[in-house]
Amino acid sequence: MALDIRKVVVLGANGAMGAGSAMVFAAAGIPTTLLARTRDKARLGQARVEKLAKSEAISRFLSVGTYDDDLDREVAAADLVFEAVSEELALKRAMFGRIDGVRRPGALVATVSSGLSIAGLCAERSDDFRRHFLGIHFFNPPNVITGCELVPHAGTDPAVTAELAASLRDRFGRALVRTADTPAFCGNRVGFELLNRCAQLALEHGPAELDLLIGPHTGRAMAPLATIDFVGWDVHRAIVDNLHAHTSDEAHASFALPVYMDLLIDAGHLGDKSGELGGFYRRLGQGKEAQRFVLEPRSRDYLPAAKLAVPPVVAAMKRLHRVGRYREAMAVFADEPSPAAALMRRVILGYVSYGLGRVGEVVEQVADVDRIMGQGFNWAPPGLLVDLIGARRTIALLEQAKLPVARLLVDAAERGAHLHTEPGDPGRYFVA
Amino acid sequence: MTAPVFILGGYQTDFARNWTKEGKHIAAMIREAVQGALAVTGVEPGEIEVGHVGNFAAELYAMQGHLGAFLIDVDPGFAGLPTGRHEAACASGSIALLAATAELEAGRYELALVVGVEQMKTVSPAQGGDYLGTAAWYELEAKGVEFPFPKLFGRLGDEYDKRYGLRDEHLAHIAAVNYDNARRNPRAQTRSWYMSEDHARGGGPYNATIGGRIKISDCSQVTDGAVAVLLAAPAYAERWAARRGTRLDALARVVGWGHRTAPLTFDAKIAESAGAPYVLPHTRRAIEDAFRRARVADVWSLSGIETHDCFTTSEYMAIDHFGLTAPGESWKAIEDGVIDFDGKLPINPSGGLIGAGHPVGATGVRQLLDASLQVTGAAGGYQVPGARRFATLNIGGSGTTSCVFVVGR
Repeated sequence: MALDIRKVVVLGANGAMGAGSAMVFAAAGIPTTLLARTRDKARLGQARVEKLAKSEAISRFLSVGTYDDDLDREVAAADLVFEAVSEELALKRAMFGRIDGVRRPGALVATVSSGLSIAGLCAERSDDFRRHFLGIHFFNPPNVITGCELVPHAGTDPAVTAELAASLRDRFGRALVRTADTPAFCGNRVGFELLNRCAQLALEHGPAELDLLIGPHTGRAMAPLATIDFVGWDVHRAIVDNLHAHTSDEAHASFALPVYMDLLIDAGHLGDKSGELGGFYRRLGQGKEAQRFVLEPRSRDYLPAAKLAVPPVVAAMKRLHRVGRYREAMAVFADEPSPAAALMRRVILGYVSYGLGRVGEVVEQVADVDRIMGQGFNWAPPGLLVDLIGARRTIALLEQAKLPVARLLVDAAERGAHLHTEPGDPGRYFVA
Repeated sequence: MTAPVFILGGYQTDFARNWTKEGKHIAAMIREAVQGALAVTGVEPGEIEVGHVGNFAAELYAMQGHLGAFLIDVDPGFAGLPTGRHEAACASGSIALLAATAELEAGRYELALVVGVEQMKTVSPAQGGDYLGTAAWYELEAKGVEFPFPKLFGRLGDEYDKRYGLRDEHLAHIAAVNYDNARRNPRAQTRSWYMSEDHARGGGPYNATIGGRIKISDCSQVTDGAVAVLLAAPAYAERWAARRGTRLDALARVVGWGHRTAPLTFDAKIAESAGAPYVLPHTRRAIEDAFRRARVADVWSLSGIETHDCFTTSEYMAIDHFGLTAPGESWKAIEDGVIDFDGKLPINPSGGLIGAGHPVGATGVRQLLDASLQVTGAAGGYQVPGARRFATLNIGGSGTTSCVFVVGR
């Protein structure tokens, strides 16, 4: 059964995630109130919603207000309060304290936090609040990226979780995954393991070389270090620091932020959003006149971007992807003997191993991790990569790389079964 | 029809994809669609006896002709397969289907593969609009005209307005229904886009006028996509059904077809139909031909229609031409909710060309596949409950080539 949500209040509606989430609710025809610190900021959120929806008519479902003037009244009338303020524990907790005082019993409260403990966020709240509190992790921008994690904590009413799951799937068109209340949930845990490992490897191999090797031909829309620049280095640091502090599995070392990143963040290098300071990549000037530079992580200098030779393994995979021969491209990936191919395998197989390893801990099935990596990150999901490489061949490669082999992978190899069961064209993940 | 043609199944690529951004050649689209169709039906490549490809303008969009030959590249089992490519602008897919069904009816082959394909996101919208102009009489109607087709189909609306009166709010409802239906279809291009009737009625920066009375919301999409279907004569279909543990009468079949061509220029079409009840009489005849061959009494014997809504005006035209209303009264079916998803005769449960997308040469094949999914109860989220019989209407040019199929069980 889906919930009868008739009014939504979004807190932090001026931010990218707040406005994007508001658009999802308003697009379903639900009156949605955008709250921010000031009315001007809330109106900025409204303009963002219109821009995302490419429609002024969507504003029919929107109203704006401030925390000081409107929060108490609006929250009291809401069926769902959606918190998207900045990722600071104290700020979020204070907000929830206020909401707890004015929300009506039974109203849902959700946080869009991308990794904080859901149980921790509501620890001091009333019983009714806690029973109706969950994490709803959208990916940015939510109007385009439909992947979504639903994260109940131990005290969430199971009926509430089930009903909200049905609503997110059926009414809000989400590719939904239910995850445990564990650090960074599923998508970011598996995704940032690969991203931060690439940041670590950049020290030895160079950012541009690494992005070329682990580029879109390995099953992603954007190369890893360019992704970190896009996400923002501060956000990246918050996520991997949280994972490093609160997980202790085989990938623990992968979550250690490289020292060069720490130093550069403190100097204001946050990636794309820090303008000419840049991140792994830096651009001075605009358009054709722009000069491009690449970070040299050891010296933390920026060197002029050079035209790199495409490694033969990359060229071969791209040629095969271009004509839709994905399985053959992955055979090249598995078999090519060059050191470049070995490095590529080390990174991608680590992702496959770590992703499958979270089944049973963070999510229930391979389909869950496949769905969130596919629909949340737009990366070729671990299960699909196994199917294309072949389960037996994947196991041999994992063993050779001394990476954990999940029991479910061994089972699949024995039964000759496919791991990837998600609908949709598998070819869409592989870019030539 | 002399002998029924069975639709064993098929595969549609996700119409939201941008294959240029993926760095892909048109060969990849054909390959994915064909491999998908083989997987869905369990047909072995070596069993297929002939291949037909519908495509409008790969020479322009992708600098590639001779598309039939790309089937050979898909599987070693296709070695030596006779193939060909068919073109009739936006009706190219249906022309490929007509060729395949004719061969199956004639007993020349027992199992045919039909692929419709178009890769359109290789060029800018303006360049693409110019290419599409070759579906009209280019020198007379499109050369030097920015976005010629919205203007031509705007004129179709103007002609309705002149003869019978036309209110744009009715066109807005058509747009809203197609977008709404697309949200049910996991392969529809616009499934996650925002649209509402309010938005479609309004103008402004987000719903600008493209030409004449046509706004952005009235237009179908620029789409990359391929669709493959497997069509069989009774003898193969019977063996296949037995192999799949099903019965012949559980399979979708083509029960009727219509195919007519009107004069190429829009002026000539309108001059010809002046004073007549139907604005596009040859389209009407194609529908009547199909109904007669299918022994369908009238449109109310259908469970639904997949029509060619390249613009809202073309769907407006289809409503009276199919006979949902008297000529010129399409608005009545719109106001009464007849064409809505849960209406008496839903039109485009898939989302149509506006919602599902319009990879030009693939559209006719996509419509037939959707009709077959509907009548076999396999359309998933956009299934019309209890559907038994569906019609398709696929149009090339400004109402020039009209192809109709009736699909039943």
